[in-house]
Amino acid sequence: MKLSKRILALALAVVTAVSVFSFASCSGDDIEVPEFSAETIKIGVSGPLTGAAAVYGQAVYNGARLAIHEINEAGGLDGTLFSFEMFDDTHDPTKVATGYASLTGKGMQLSLGTVTTGPGLEFKELSKTNMFVLTPSASGDKIPEYANAYQMCFADGNQGKVAAEYVNSLCLTKIGIFYKTDEDYSKGIYDQFKANLSSSIQTVEASFTDSNATDFSTQIDTLKDCTFIFMPIYYTPASLFMTQAKDKIAKNATYYGCDGFDGIESAEGFDITTIPQNVSMLSHFNSKAESGAAKDFVTKYTDIFGADTLNQFGASAYDCVYAIFNALKAAKAAGKTVDGSTSSADMLAILTEQFNGGFTYSGVTGDNIKWEPTGYVNKGAVPYTIKEANE
Amino acid sequence: MEFISTLLNGLSSGGTYAMIALGYTMVYGIAKMLNFAHGDVIMVGGYIMYVMMLLLSQNVFLGIAVAVVFCVLLGILVERLAYRPLRGASPLAVLITAIGVSYLFQSLALIVFKSSPKMLSVLQISGALKLGKLSVDYSTIVTLAVAAAVMTALTLFVKKTKTGRAMVAVSEDRDAAKLMGINVNFIIMITFAIGSGLAALAGVFMLMKAPSLSNTFGAMPGIKAFTAAVIGGIGSIPGAMVGGILLGVIEAISFKIPLIAPYTDAIEFSILIIILLVKPTGLLGKRRREKV
Amino acid sequence: MANIKWKRYLNYIVISALAVLFAVLSLTGTLKLGTQILLEKITISIILAVSLSMVVGFLGELSLGHAGFMCVGAYIGGKVACLVDGDGNSHLILITAILVGGVVAAICGFIIGLPALRLKGDYLAIVTLAFGEIVRSLFLNSTPESFGSTLGLKTPRYDSRFLLIYGFVFVLIALAVIQNLIKSKHGRAITAIRDNEIAAKATGINITKYKLLVFIVSAFFAGVAGVLFSHANYTVQSKTFDYNYSIEILVMVVLGGMGSINGAIISATLITFLNEELTTILTGELSVLKDLLYALILILLIIYNNAPALKGVREKYNLRAFVGKIRKHDPAADKDDEAKWHRVPTKIDMNEVLSTDLVVKESRAEKGDRGGK
Repeated sequence: MKLSKRILALALAVVTAVSVFSFASCSGDDIEVPEFSAETIKIGVSGPLTGAAAVYGQAVYNGARLAIHEINEAGGLDGTLFSFEMFDDTHDPTKVATGYASLTGKGMQLSLGTVTTGPGLEFKELSKTNMFVLTPSASGDKIPEYANAYQMCFADGNQGKVAAEYVNSLCLTKIGIFYKTDEDYSKGIYDQFKANLSSSIQTVEASFTDSNATDFSTQIDTLKDCTFIFMPIYYTPASLFMTQAKDKIAKNATYYGCDGFDGIESAEGFDITTIPQNVSMLSHFNSKAESGAAKDFVTKYTDIFGADTLNQFGASAYDCVYAIFNALKAAKAAGKTVDGSTSSADMLAILTEQFNGGFTYSGVTGDNIKWEPTGYVNKGAVPYTIKEANE
Repeated sequence: MEFISTLLNGLSSGGTYAMIALGYTMVYGIAKMLNFAHGDVIMVGGYIMYVMMLLLSQNVFLGIAVAVVFCVLLGILVERLAYRPLRGASPLAVLITAIGVSYLFQSLALIVFKSSPKMLSVLQISGALKLGKLSVDYSTIVTLAVAAAVMTALTLFVKKTKTGRAMVAVSEDRDAAKLMGINVNFIIMITFAIGSGLAALAGVFMLMKAPSLSNTFGAMPGIKAFTAAVIGGIGSIPGAMVGGILLGVIEAISFKIPLIAPYTDAIEFSILIIILLVKPTGLLGKRRREKV
Repeated sequence: MANIKWKRYLNYIVISALAVLFAVLSLTGTLKLGTQILLEKITISIILAVSLSMVVGFLGELSLGHAGFMCVGAYIGGKVACLVDGDGNSHLILITAILVGGVVAAICGFIIGLPALRLKGDYLAIVTLAFGEIVRSLFLNSTPESFGSTLGLKTPRYDSRFLLIYGFVFVLIALAVIQNLIKSKHGRAITAIRDNEIAAKATGINITKYKLLVFIVSAFFAGVAGVLFSHANYTVQSKTFDYNYSIEILVMVVLGGMGSINGAIISATLITFLNEELTTILTGELSVLKDLLYALILILLIIYNNAPALKGVREKYNLRAFVGKIRKHDPAADKDDEAKWHRVPTKIDMNEVLSTDLVVKESRAEKGDRGGK
């Protein structure tokens, strides 16, 4: 009995210590966004807040809340405030149904869909008849398959095609490709890129998977003779690759990425100036922007949340909330009633009318953003040079 | 030439696997438990390293020392709190507890260090040794040298010291060892301490090659090292080394061939199954006679 | 005697009653979507736990690849349903898919059962884990046309009002098959193999046959659970079926008490419920706490349930004693019950599962102890 008591006491002590510690460290920022309630307009989203993809979900969580906070500070939609809730789907599609049921049960009227593509394929089926979806970052080609869904980011296939056209225009004879075989984002871009790449260009390919996403020495070895490497991957593995390849790949080589590259300069502990090679990307957001809406956003975001989650996910989520807000404002001006009691089906009707009826929006990730009836976004992709090669 | 450099890459990641597998194999041999939380000790070690680098800036060796000591203490603490109460209970209960501990470490790391991966570039050893056309990275040399040194030291420790021989005794027959006056609890504690220290050290080498730290940093290397330990014969120290190196080399070769690269995991695990079918106790494992 | 017979069928009666209740509620549309999804998941978990309990609890082999069989079932069953009819609300197609998925998984069970004849304990455990990961990797790297590659296979989502009824029906079928098998002479042979393989062989039990039988039946029901799972989602991704999922099923079996089917049912229900509740309650910033809570609950429960030092506490405060107090029944009935052979497995310590030699002695010593008191 003595031993058992001691064990119990120890266990209790650990539990208390841990819970006190965790609650203390939980209150991160001082942004206040109301929880779902009858009188507010309720926006929900499903995304990873734990697990390997948590950093992307966290950025969306921050970006969306920042926008809602600002809108509410400014009085909301003629006095009606917005509320926000995010369900943690851990980047697992099978959790989405539970999350969707839970969010709709609490009265969600509008949604930002999902943060990542895999869960988004589940979400689009659940939401197709009666929920408006404007996703900040689920870039799969099939995400906006139904009439209710729109994307703020570029679709993967489009990015692959645009990137291939750009590479074709460079008149190269040999390029390297570095991609992740078990990720839909990377594989989606890669497939379209290969399909559209001119057949005269010789390719050297290296790939990695989730379970081997740390040590790239073999892949670097394969790519070491390439002077142009296309990398349709997110910035976390990309920064890792660049660090490891510093001395092994030609100093004047170019790493060329898509919007997943964004955020690479602000990755914690990674100093892009130590990378000798050229780094550029085709994206809708540049976190090093010198002027305009993007710069304002970067300043506000880093003030509150710090720089380590600053990337296009957060910017895109911020834009999604403002685009919805502006569309609702326009609808209200046109005589529609929009408040906390509007049903999600009515919201869908009101917003699709706006989005298909020539609604344009200018924000952090682009000017004069329009949407096609298919749900794909129509905005300019800007080639950014993140860092020029050291001479 | 191409092949040799691939082989060297494999050797260097194999050395890291071997170090993790050594901890796995020792804990298994002596405590008779599969410590699924072993991989997460690597992650904890990495984060301690990260914190130390923030506090101490450039003093790498002190950072490594602190990380190893912290993990040794952590190993002792976890053994004391979570595993020792279950001594004498079913090994499955201990296995599940270890899984619980693994979840606990991962979630605590997520809460404390947040989701964005941390980069640790101070550990980089750049440069390579040029031997004619061949170039061998210094990091590969250091990894292999340390792994070999650790293995030798462990073998000597087990063979020559009193504590080491007590370990062998406990792993052979716990009850008889107890009767011979060996403090079994103490021996098991020492084993956990050594295993966790090795895991932290392996974490440093992993960070040297791939300086990105997140809360799932150790999960997959943990499973791979477990595989390596079983290939080599779980419970055998040289077996862990052989298994680790073999696994690293297979991985590197498989990555080199684009056609089979996506199937790397499947290939590694298939080789495991084939080896076990031919030699049911692994390459260097002892065959135990079943008693009735 | 009549009393005991009634008790033997208690779990069928309880589950059937619940099935009828939820079926009525579900068909009349009173159940919320969230509850329907929860019930689907619970029935799937129960099938998985009961089928794994056969391998781990009764045959005494540790399997870390149960999710692999489920993965096979989910992909094959989903594909069958897709090929026949993309819309997928026909009962016939669902049943065909379940049968095909189950049979293919059973074939995989046979293949994995073969090394089980040669390997023991942890070596078998790592082989099953490896099997699960290989299966996953093969489906992940399939072509987009065959099994959907990285995006996963698009499967027909079955109407959840009906799917949960199917879930209950297959829980009952799994229970009927496995429970009857275990309580037959074949079940006695299986537990004999667990308790002492060499002695079992000496008494003329066909070890090969029984080991393979257990792996095949267990894999079949894991495959069935997989097909139900694929019909509860619009897509299945191989990522879902990693070793962590296998471990979660193992946790259900171990927490339920080894060799106890009812225990597995109860713990599968509770763990699935706990997981769902934690994910829906802890949203946004709080979601980082759910893994922490789950881990702490798991560790404390296992220590409470298994620590030798807490034996006294356990005997004083446990579920059975609690239920006994409420029912105030005759203690003599308990004694009679303990004499029943099928209750014995819960009493045997489960050391054999992981290591064979050393431990047999221990358990004998313990038994001797018990007798001496």
